[in-house]
Amino acid sequence: MIDTNQLFPFLMSGLGFGAVYAMSGTGLLVLYRTTGVLNFAFGAIGAFGASITWSAIENNWAPDWVAYLMCIAFCGAVTLGYGLYLAPRYANRDDLNKMLGTLGLALILLGFMFNLWKTEDARVFRLPTGTRRVQIEWFCNSEGKECVFDARISYTQILAVVFALVVAAGVTVYLKRTKMGTAMRAIANDREISSLLGVPVRRIEAIAWLGSGVLCGIVGLLLVDLFGSLDVVLMTWFVIPALAPVLVGRLRHLWVAFFAAFAIGVVEAELNASTWAWPSLYRKTTAYVVAIVALLWFARKRNLVISGRSTR
Amino acid sequence: MIGISNLTVRFGGVLSLAGVTVDFPGGACGLIGPNGAGKTTFFNVLSGFVVPVEGSVDADGVDLLAMPDFKRARWGVRRTFQTEQAIESLTVFDNVRTVLEHTSKHGKDSARTQVLDAVEFCGLGAQVYARVGTLSPRERRLVEVARAVVGSPKLILLDEPGAGLPEAESEHLGTVIRQIPDHVGATVILVEHDMSLVRKCCDWTAVLDFGRLLSCGPTEDVLRDPTVLAAYLGQEVEA
Amino acid sequence: MTAVADDPRTTAVEQGRTAAGSPTLLGKRSIAKMGVAAAALAIGLFLLPAITSTFWVKNLTSAAILAIVAGATGMLYGRVGLVALGQMALYGLSTWITLRLSFATDLPFPALVLIAAVITTIFGVILGLPALRLSGIYLSLITLMSAAGFLVILSEAKFPNGGPGFKGLVQEVTNRSEMRRPDIAIGDFAYYRYVVIAMVLTYLLALIHVVGKPGRAWASIKQSEAAALAAGINTTTYKLWAWALASFMTGIAGGLLAGHVKSPSVFPFIVEQNIILIAVVVMGGVVSLWGGIISGLLAAVLPELFQKIGVSDRWSLILFGVGLTVNLLITSHQLDKAGIRE
Repeated sequence: MIDTNQLFPFLMSGLGFGAVYAMSGTGLLVLYRTTGVLNFAFGAIGAFGASITWSAIENNWAPDWVAYLMCIAFCGAVTLGYGLYLAPRYANRDDLNKMLGTLGLALILLGFMFNLWKTEDARVFRLPTGTRRVQIEWFCNSEGKECVFDARISYTQILAVVFALVVAAGVTVYLKRTKMGTAMRAIANDREISSLLGVPVRRIEAIAWLGSGVLCGIVGLLLVDLFGSLDVVLMTWFVIPALAPVLVGRLRHLWVAFFAAFAIGVVEAELNASTWAWPSLYRKTTAYVVAIVALLWFARKRNLVISGRSTR
Repeated sequence: MIGISNLTVRFGGVLSLAGVTVDFPGGACGLIGPNGAGKTTFFNVLSGFVVPVEGSVDADGVDLLAMPDFKRARWGVRRTFQTEQAIESLTVFDNVRTVLEHTSKHGKDSARTQVLDAVEFCGLGAQVYARVGTLSPRERRLVEVARAVVGSPKLILLDEPGAGLPEAESEHLGTVIRQIPDHVGATVILVEHDMSLVRKCCDWTAVLDFGRLLSCGPTEDVLRDPTVLAAYLGQEVEA
Repeated sequence: MTAVADDPRTTAVEQGRTAAGSPTLLGKRSIAKMGVAAAALAIGLFLLPAITSTFWVKNLTSAAILAIVAGATGMLYGRVGLVALGQMALYGLSTWITLRLSFATDLPFPALVLIAAVITTIFGVILGLPALRLSGIYLSLITLMSAAGFLVILSEAKFPNGGPGFKGLVQEVTNRSEMRRPDIAIGDFAYYRYVVIAMVLTYLLALIHVVGKPGRAWASIKQSEAAALAAGINTTTYKLWAWALASFMTGIAGGLLAGHVKSPSVFPFIVEQNIILIAVVVMGGVVSLWGGIISGLLAAVLPELFQKIGVSDRWSLILFGVGLTVNLLITSHQLDKAGIRE
């Protein structure tokens, strides 16, 4: 039923994807809490940024590290631009219409990517961490041939996990310890009262947009390395499974979302270790099933809105 | 008569209603109190949107709390909301008809007569086929009243129907509300901040403060009650 | 009757009491509307096929099928206030069921489509029953998640091609069977007319609901669920009713698609298509069923039109994104001017 030799290698690759889910989740959640916008263009922006990096490396426009920075800068700029110029125009709309606005942006970006790059060709670039691998051999027998834990992992996987931890911890400290972070939490609780109390709402929103944009650039680069190629459609809609852990955290609890992200990544990967065919064929449904279950869990109690106030 | 006993509602750690016991004698009754006193919560309990932790509501011998929310309208509870909620995309006629067709069974002609009677009662005869979206705030409030009186309601809850209306307009609204008990035979409970409207419509009034019953009785007596005046201190009573 | 009405402006009521029906049903405007609809139907059925090639008739067939899905989605959005982002999954499910049934049975084509639509409705209701307690963004997300999950399964299971087993798949292409069409609509032109008539019938079904008691209940729910409950409306039942109707319409469309393309690929059902659908539905307008037809034309004909004039069909994607954005900007601006916050 389970190929036990495969469990450990798949755990390692699952942690890599879990880390990317966690980073995306952090970006999506903090932005949603601060601005009320669930950014469905997160994946599309990242894919666009990564495509720019690919072009820069392919055409030798700049040294590789500059190409990587171009991706992050592009993602930060586009996200911030949307946050500064379009998002405020939807300020009076509900969360649903705010989300539809970002779906519009996702379609536009996807369309431009199709037009600007030959997206049907395989496009590949590797991060410097992707080409170097480390062999893990733990608890080996005396000859050193049979090991309990045996896997080859890339530095990108390690980098992703470390990054995800640093980002989530950094955001937590920022929200708890800094003045801007406290203001951000105030906005998440009640934006009208915060604005009346003199919290600089627009500036804090801009910080949230920029931060999540930078994260989305990093996620874009990591995904190309982890997927092994640059598939703009796959990356654009990566935002949907990435939302699953955020929903487990009820769009609210950062660390719940963080651990849910790793759990989803690991389960998705470990289903490959099954010797039956169907768990590995349908393993990509993991995130969606988790999201659906989480949403139905919300639905246990009805939430009525009466004159702008919730009964829950 | 609507008998409320020991009604208690808790949100998290906060007591919104703390053991309220009061009997509404019938006719048009006022329910007043400062902001946050629990008036709207009280209405939400009667409409079934909020489940109390304790207490009972006896409406003409029927245990109201045992009924699911949407069935209470069939029994005869009607309600309006603080923010006006007439359906913008429908005509006045269809607005009123919607309530009637979901609360009682009628033949087509009898339903038509009842809807038109309710519309006429509220003085909206000229706008009966106008879309609610095109009406003035006063007319929309009247549509809500028409929705509340159609059919055979037993208990009508009006949540600040005069909010946002100029004095002359709420004057007309008051005349309509005043006539509801005689016209349809229902008990009306009116939550209102405008004391002149309460005076005009209600013979009997109850006062809530911090989720507790502060006072109740004939409106004029209640409004002169020193404890009531103290509760409103800082919130001037328009005497 | 003791009318409080302070003046004799009760003429409309008096007229209303004597008139047989509500003026909205038999007024001049509704007769004019019916005339326009009849003329449009005549053009769609006879003029368009007469002046176009097989290529365009096939595209118009796709447009009419998509118009059914768009009409259902628009009805949910515009009438009940529910934004479904997973309609394409139900569409694909019905296509799969129709194909599978067509290889397994000798049932006539309309029976295949109807059975598939009913099974699709059952699936829609099973998901909708718990999900409809959610509203707004959460309902949209659960539909999108379901669609994404369904796509994973469909990509693996693929569409039946006449093979054995539950999946009905056979590897050797030589043996592959095709979906049959109704005897009266074998050719592409005849099938186009068949689809248009089916579209009109589903639209009539939707219209009967919208102008009747369910439509009024939906309008009430859309405005405020609390107010609807207070008016005695069983909101769960009526939301589920709308959901089931939309699933049924989408199911019919799925069945018609099976007959149209005969051996479908997964492409029409990918996640992107759900987003495109909501974009064209918003662009077409959600208040009237005409919007559904416009949406269908936008989604099915526009990309082909772009290719014909030598522009990449990918531009349509950008156009849909821009259309959705512009539409949101306009409605937000209008709400802003009216001082309304959602």
